[in-house]
Amino acid sequence: MNDRAAAGSTADAPADYRVLVVDDDLDMVAFLARLLRDEGLKVETAGDGASALMQVMTSPPDLILLDVMMPGVSGFDVCRQLKGDESTALIPIVLVTALDDSESRVRGIEAGADDFLSKPVKREELIARVKTLRRLHDTRKELESRRLAAEVQRKEAIRQAFSRYISPRLADRIAEAAGEYGDPFQGRAQRTSVVALFADLRGFTRLTERNDVGTVVAMLNEYFAVLTEAAYQHDGTIFNMAGDSLLVGFNVPFPQPDAAERAWRTALEMVARFEPVAASWRERHGLEVGVGIGMCAGDAIIGNVGSTHYASYTIIGNPVNTAARLMQMAAAGEVLVCGPLFERIRHLVPAGRVAIRGDVTLRGKSESIPVFAVRAEARENA
Amino acid sequence: MTKNIHTVIIAKDLADLIPVFIRNRQKEIETLRTALAAGDFEQLRQLGHRMRGVGNSYGFAMISEVGKQLEDGVKGGDKAAIAACIGEYADFLDKMQIVYE
Repeated sequence: MNDRAAAGSTADAPADYRVLVVDDDLDMVAFLARLLRDEGLKVETAGDGASALMQVMTSPPDLILLDVMMPGVSGFDVCRQLKGDESTALIPIVLVTALDDSESRVRGIEAGADDFLSKPVKREELIARVKTLRRLHDTRKELESRRLAAEVQRKEAIRQAFSRYISPRLADRIAEAAGEYGDPFQGRAQRTSVVALFADLRGFTRLTERNDVGTVVAMLNEYFAVLTEAAYQHDGTIFNMAGDSLLVGFNVPFPQPDAAERAWRTALEMVARFEPVAASWRERHGLEVGVGIGMCAGDAIIGNVGSTHYASYTIIGNPVNTAARLMQMAAAGEVLVCGPLFERIRHLVPAGRVAIRGDVTLRGKSESIPVFAVRAEARENA
Repeated sequence: MTKNIHTVIIAKDLADLIPVFIRNRQKEIETLRTALAAGDFEQLRQLGHRMRGVGNSYGFAMISEVGKQLEDGVKGGDKAAIAACIGEYADFLDKMQIVYE
C-alpha cells in the first residue's frame, strides 16, 4: 500500500482554473499537484481512470493531466471517452507518460489528446505547457463571452426591428426563438392561412376638414395608439398603417391556433378602447366618430416585399382585400365578418348582436360572399 | 542531479513530500523482490516503468535509471540482471544522503 493513499482530492489554492491530475502512482500525483498549486492553480486528483471519468462528469475541470498506464481504464480509454462526449470534448487533456515511443504518441493523438508530457516530468516543461493551455482556455472563454454578448445584441436588434410590427411581448418571444426558428421576417415569402383585420375611422374626413394639421396629427396619434395597444394585447401583427386605416394579421409570423378568437377580441378591444377617445373628441370638437372594422380569414402571401432601398413585411391576398372592403362597408362600432371566419367565432358572439347581411358581392369581386355584421359598441366578456 | 551515488540534491519545495516518497520506495524494494521470487515479470515491468517515471521527476535520477534497467532486464528475461538491479536500488536507498536546495 502506498503511503500517499490517504492523500485524497483536495483543493487549497484560490483559483478559478481547475486541473485534474490522474495517476495511479500517488507519489506522481503529489508531485504534480505540488508544482501546480505552487503556480496558484486549483488541483483535484484521481487515482484511476474510472474515478477520473466520474469526477469529470460531476465537476468538469479546465485541464486534465492524465497518466496512460493505469490498471483498469487506461489513460487512452479515459481520453477517448471524454473526447467522444460533446459535454467534455473541449477540456484539454495532456497525456503524462513514460512511454516515449512514437507509436504511443500516435495512439494518444488518435484518442484525442491535446498535448504530451514525458516522465520523468521536468518542472519547467510542465509549467510552460499548463500556462499555454491556460492561455488557450482564457482565449476560448473570452471568445465565448464575446459570442454571447453578440448573441444578446443580435436578439435585441431583432426585437427592436420586429417591434415595428408586433407587441413587445411577441417581439421578445421571436428574439428568444430566433436561433430555433431563424428570423421569420427575413425568410422567403410564403403562402399561409391568416386572419386579416382592417380598422378605420368613421368620420375621418370631417375631422380633417375641421381641424388644423397639428390637431389632426395629434388626434390620429391618439387614435392609432389605442388601436395598436388593442392589437398588441392579443398578439396581432401590424402590417400597415395608412391614412386612418390599420391592417392587423393573425397566425403570422408564428402559428396562432386561436387566431380567429384573437382577431375577434382585438376588434372588440379596439371599439371599446376608442369609446372614451370618441367621447372626448365629441365634447372638444363636436365630432361624431367611431371605428369600423372588417375581418376575413383565408390563405395569403406573407413576406418582405419591396426593393433594395425599401421593403416592408407585407400580407397580400383575398382575405386582406375582403377585409378592406368589409371595413369600408362597416358603420361606426360595427364589425363585418366574412362567413367562414364568423363560424370560427360564432361561440363568442352574443346572438342578439349579430345581423346576417346575406351574400354580398364586394367591389372588384365576381362572386358574392356571406357576411355577418356584429355590433361591438360595448366591451364583451370574451 | 546526483553528485555521487550517495548524495542527491532535491528541490527545497518538495522537502515535505520526500519522507513519504522514500517510504514508498522501500516498500517497492520488497514488492520487487517478491515479484522476482514469483517470476512475475509483468509486475516487475510495471514497477520498473513506474520507477522510471517518478524517480527523476522528484530529482532521483538513480531511481529512474534503475527502473529503466529493470524494464530492460524483464525484456531479456534475465533474472540475475534483475536481482542485481534490485540490489543496487536497495543499496542506493540505504546509503543516499539528501540535500535540499
